[in-house]
Amino acid sequence: MKLQTRKVFDRSFTGIGLVSIFLLFVSLIVVLAPIFVKGMGAFVFKGTIEFRKFNYEKFGRGKKQKLDEEVKKTIEARKFVYDLITDFEKKIKNNEIPDSYKYERKKDELKELVKKLIGPFPGEPRPVLLRDQFGATRWDRTKVILNQVLNVEKWDYSNPDKMGKKVLVARKLEFEGTTLEKLFPYIEENLKQMMLPKLTFYWRFLTDKSFDAHFFGGIWAEVLGTLYLVLGTMLFAIPIGIISAIYLTEFAREGKVVSLLRTFISTLAGVPSIVFGLFGLAFFINTVKVSDSKSVLAGSLTLALLVLPTIIRASEEAIIAVPKTYKEAAFSLGASKIHTVLTVILPAALPGVLTGIVISMGRAAGETAPIIFTAAVSMGKPLKLVQTLTQPTPALPWNIYNLVTEHKAVEQIRHIQFGMVFTLVMLVLVLNMGAIIMRARISKKLRE
Amino acid sequence: MNQKKIQLSDNQLKKTSNFMDWGKPHIYSKDFSVFYGSNEAIKQVHIKIPEKKVTAIIGPSGCGKSTFLRAINRMNDLIMGCYIKGKIFFDDEEIYGQYADPVLLRKRVGMVFQKPNPFPKSIFDNVAYGPKLHTSKRKSELYETVKRSLNRAALWDEVKERLNNNALSLSGGQQQRLCIARALAVDPEILLMDEPTSALDPRATGLIEDLIGELRGNYTIIIVTHNMQQAARVSDYTAFFYEGVLIEFAPTSELFTTPKEKKTEEYITGRFG
Amino acid sequence: MKTQIKKSIIVSKETSRLRRLVSFSTHGFLFIIASVSTIAVAFIIFFIAKEALPFFNLRGFKEFFTSIQWYPSASQPEFGALSIIYGSIIVTLLAALIAVPFAVLSAICLSDILSFSVRQIVKPVIEVIAAIPSVAFGFFALVVFAPILQRSGGHLLGVGVWLLGLPLNSIIAYLVSDILADKIFKKTTVALRTLIFILLECIIIFSLYKVYTIFDSITINSGTNILNVSVILAIMILPTIVSVSEDALQAVGKELRQGSYALGATRTETILKVVVPSAKSGIITGIILGIMRAVGETMVVWMASGNAAQIPQPWYNIFEPIRTLTATIAGDMGEADHVTGSARYHVLFAMALLLLVISFISNLISEWFVARSKKKMGI
Repeated sequence: MKLQTRKVFDRSFTGIGLVSIFLLFVSLIVVLAPIFVKGMGAFVFKGTIEFRKFNYEKFGRGKKQKLDEEVKKTIEARKFVYDLITDFEKKIKNNEIPDSYKYERKKDELKELVKKLIGPFPGEPRPVLLRDQFGATRWDRTKVILNQVLNVEKWDYSNPDKMGKKVLVARKLEFEGTTLEKLFPYIEENLKQMMLPKLTFYWRFLTDKSFDAHFFGGIWAEVLGTLYLVLGTMLFAIPIGIISAIYLTEFAREGKVVSLLRTFISTLAGVPSIVFGLFGLAFFINTVKVSDSKSVLAGSLTLALLVLPTIIRASEEAIIAVPKTYKEAAFSLGASKIHTVLTVILPAALPGVLTGIVISMGRAAGETAPIIFTAAVSMGKPLKLVQTLTQPTPALPWNIYNLVTEHKAVEQIRHIQFGMVFTLVMLVLVLNMGAIIMRARISKKLRE
Repeated sequence: MNQKKIQLSDNQLKKTSNFMDWGKPHIYSKDFSVFYGSNEAIKQVHIKIPEKKVTAIIGPSGCGKSTFLRAINRMNDLIMGCYIKGKIFFDDEEIYGQYADPVLLRKRVGMVFQKPNPFPKSIFDNVAYGPKLHTSKRKSELYETVKRSLNRAALWDEVKERLNNNALSLSGGQQQRLCIARALAVDPEILLMDEPTSALDPRATGLIEDLIGELRGNYTIIIVTHNMQQAARVSDYTAFFYEGVLIEFAPTSELFTTPKEKKTEEYITGRFG
Repeated sequence: MKTQIKKSIIVSKETSRLRRLVSFSTHGFLFIIASVSTIAVAFIIFFIAKEALPFFNLRGFKEFFTSIQWYPSASQPEFGALSIIYGSIIVTLLAALIAVPFAVLSAICLSDILSFSVRQIVKPVIEVIAAIPSVAFGFFALVVFAPILQRSGGHLLGVGVWLLGLPLNSIIAYLVSDILADKIFKKTTVALRTLIFILLECIIIFSLYKVYTIFDSITINSGTNILNVSVILAIMILPTIVSVSEDALQAVGKELRQGSYALGATRTETILKVVVPSAKSGIITGIILGIMRAVGETMVVWMASGNAAQIPQPWYNIFEPIRTLTATIAGDMGEADHVTGSARYHVLFAMALLLLVISFISNLISEWFVARSKKKMGI
């Protein structure tokens, strides 16, 4: 090949390499961006009057006087809607409209949607379900429901060769020629006055318990469950991990036994996480019976095994990096081996050990598969500390899965799902950033 | 004396009768060898190191002088595959005897290393580390011990204001004096120094050497050094090691002016090493 | 104080014995704690195998490994796991296929091309990707990626073909034209080379267009399919492969590189002919570890694979939903839990046992490669 060609080849190879690094960045951003942007929506959003009503009723937050004023305003704005629909209902009842039976069902559908938008009508008995007691609490949801009020989804099967196509038809057409016709332009124009959207910072999303299966409120039960699981995991994994590392680095003589131990540690690191879950079920719950059924304790024990290799490896590396001279100095002063490890080596290795611990905390927080059968439950109240020994808990990773795939109203609580994912990812990222910074400091120290 | 020095030139005889009457021997070795695996690092050394004097050990690198020093307080125990043959006594007790306890030994045989190696703790905690190990002193007593040790190591005036600062914030020379203070804090009888000034600048070296001069008479000091001038300056006796063999052991003034062995002469006149 | 008058380094027989006992028991205690991981592995094997064996006793091996009839809850249950095993395999292979080129190139870039300061930024990014919980990836795959894929997957693939194919093929065309002009026509005139290049480029653009139209016309019925899962898994296993390969590439000493440069090789030639071959074992270890992670991954496949126990028609149709071993265990255990003791419960442990065996074998292979590379380096 000519030199020229070789150079072009060289440059294009470099280019391809850079592109793949670039794609790495892109993939990270593509994954995180929607989670961050939409996840923030659980904390910062335009809340409607219904949100403020809910907050006042359930938590006593907000000023009564101000709320009353706002409610008054919205009732004024909504009056037209209430009147129109009740009037129409009366007319149907009294058969004042031609073919009134035709409108019966359509009117009911419309009324349900309007209730979803602005809550139950005045004078009606209070609905049983909490979700029916309030209208749309978020402005973005309000607009989605408005769309449903204004338009009917229909399926177009006109082309028999293709799959049915979704088309939107204005609901107005269903009520052509009736008094209700006026309702649609009115709602569209006066929605803001009816809902009074206001920018809301709902940082208590993290610490509020959820109401009515996550239709309202926050994610405290999940956050607390995750914290319990992480702390429980660390309670078991840290001592065992550090002691194992101390044994392997300071006490064991290199030989067959130690290399066998190391092989098994790397084997443990390779066991699929779902297998840990099955093992936790078969061993901790069915055989040892640490608890009657799933519990935070069983989950913590299972997760502890999962993160053990990470902690052992990080601690080993940190201990090996401690200068030998510290050890010699301690020995020369007459310290025993154990004493040297406890008073000199471990303190010096602490930053490195902590890095490993922090990373495994992130892992314990995010792992789902091991806790499915050992600790997690879809619905539940925040646990007290004592209850962790015997009871399962909701936890962020599991409930993300659960809300996305098994919840009745998946679409309606997207903001909660994104908020949960955001919280979990932030938790893990903050832990890992901490570890990265800690490691950078250590390597800086070593270079000095 | 004459007879002895003639014997010294004869390797065979040296092994059986190395006696020097320079006061009570504090460390006394007989047929003492150290092995790393199959490699014999120290070869059948006989030596009597006198009490409360400064003894320097010199020799080219790799001659086993550090190994010998470390054998005295059993620091070699840490190295895998290291074992000894023969006997070495400390105050007439066998250092490697069946019931000898390395912890008790090391409490009485302090050591200062090549590179200053203070713990990454406060200055106070560094000095108090040893006393805390061996006694259960109260805080005030501990403070007195720390103060006395730092005083003896001529460091007190420089650090008394900042006893709680990290020891690593001190300069290299100060760190080494801190290490000496740390070793003195457990009231040892012997102080082993393994090239204590090799990592220091000339000024700090001078300070350490002055310190050794001050400690003389209170402690038995054994100092391994690369630097013959240093050995000449600080020591009362000097031992010359070559390839694991003790070639000559004599009062420092004698060894440097009238060496009896050809190897010694070659070394001190700079023909090798 | 009186006892200290006669100082001695000798301790009494009893004290000595006691000390030895204490030392021995601390040693023993530490050893037992250090063995927890080993015991855990042994227990995992034992308990998974214990619960799996009843299934094989009950139903034998043949059905599990050869049948594709998976009806565990039918009145006449059938436990043919072949399609599920196939699902695990195809998803893993496709993920590896996507990830390996990017990962290895990134690793090379990290170790040999990027400057130190840039590396300090890129490495944390890789760590962050590795740290993101799998459920977050699964959520992304199901809620964000699947709808996009379903709506405009074909277009996306088509655009991808152009973006990746054109530059890559142009480089190849350039090199080929150069070699052709050099070797076959024995002439190196610029005109000839340009002519060949343009000719090749035309062919490439034409064929790319053909591929593009094929991809573009694809309609994807379900966004939760093999492709979705594989792409997300590929992103997830990237960090593993990159970091292990990068370590291996770094371990190839400076001397080797400098030797190659001294002989007049360009950087690329040095990398491809000297560095990569010496780091081969390490790179393969990284790939194996990445594949292990993909096989064992649960949440992403459970959420975004569609969970259909089928072998797609044709078998390489990557737009079809699929089901994997891990997802089956996670999904079916909830229902099987109540009927502990039935074949339906034990078959899930049989699957777990299969996963365990796969991970052990991969682990052994990777350890073998590590040992080999260590030997090679003379460590």
